[in-house]
Amino acid sequence: MEQVVNGILVVNTETIPGKIITETMGVVSGSTVRAKHLGKDIFAGLRNIVGGELTQYTELLQESRQEAVGRMVSDAMSIGATAVVNVRFATSAITSGAAELFAYGTAVKYE
Amino acid sequence: MDSPDNRIGIVAVVSLLMLSSFSIVAVAQNSDAGEGSIAWGLILCLLPFMILALFGILWSLAYPALFIWGAAFSSGDVEKSHQDAISRRMVSREKAGKEILNTINGGYRGDVSSSGLVHANGVFGPSHWQLLIAFFNNLVGGSVTSFQQVISAGRAEVMQRLREQAEAQGWDEVINVRIDTSSMTPQSQNNKNTVRGVEIFAYGTGIRYD
Repeated sequence: MEQVVNGILVVNTETIPGKIITETMGVVSGSTVRAKHLGKDIFAGLRNIVGGELTQYTELLQESRQEAVGRMVSDAMSIGATAVVNVRFATSAITSGAAELFAYGTAVKYE
Repeated sequence: MDSPDNRIGIVAVVSLLMLSSFSIVAVAQNSDAGEGSIAWGLILCLLPFMILALFGILWSLAYPALFIWGAAFSSGDVEKSHQDAISRRMVSREKAGKEILNTINGGYRGDVSSSGLVHANGVFGPSHWQLLIAFFNNLVGGSVTSFQQVISAGRAEVMQRLREQAEAQGWDEVINVRIDTSSMTPQSQNNKNTVRGVEIFAYGTGIRYD
């Protein structure tokens, strides 16, 4: 059961456990900015008064992170890599309700 | 590209066009009809503003109620969710026979058959009552207990989600776990009515032994 996205193996360790890296191919990255529609923003605002988890924003960030990882993977595919190692995530809030998610890592070939 | 953003834009533009054409038709009709249609035209033109006013009225009614609700229950709810996360952690620890998350970078065992990224997240915010309490705490100094409770309950919840995610995907262990905490609130605060939340994001590499 190899967890691969479009044939590319993604890990956040420096090496791939149980595999040998033969070639590094540089930094690959993917980013996305997403927002929820106004209705969900209003609900999140109401929820914020009461406190607790803001489920709308949890979903939003989950979706956008998957999209960012997907873009990073297609970047790696385009240069012919077989895996992305040492993946890091960065988040920045541009306005309330929209967030930029950035995923980056090193594209490698392994055997 | 058939993305939801485009569809929302189209719906907004079409509804605005329909609204304006309705009001134009209504105004045009009233030139030959009586005074009743002038009133209807005015109402149609003012409809967006009336809806906005309605929202304002509802907000001013709902805010105090929600604030009091938050004051009464928020700290209890935070405590309850923390306890819930801890008890679910005990369950999954018993199921796996050990704690499956660790921060070791790289495989320390040779018999790893496959690996892949696992991640879990959650956005948690203090209630406005807790913000008020924190404001008074800041005046006195010392630890701001209400915020600390929210953050630690959230972190426990997200770590538990990572464990459950790893279990669901069939990993034996998650190595190199990292926890990121980032504010959902932008730094430049021009308007006060922004949502205050902290995003907790945990990720790691799931590995499976032979």
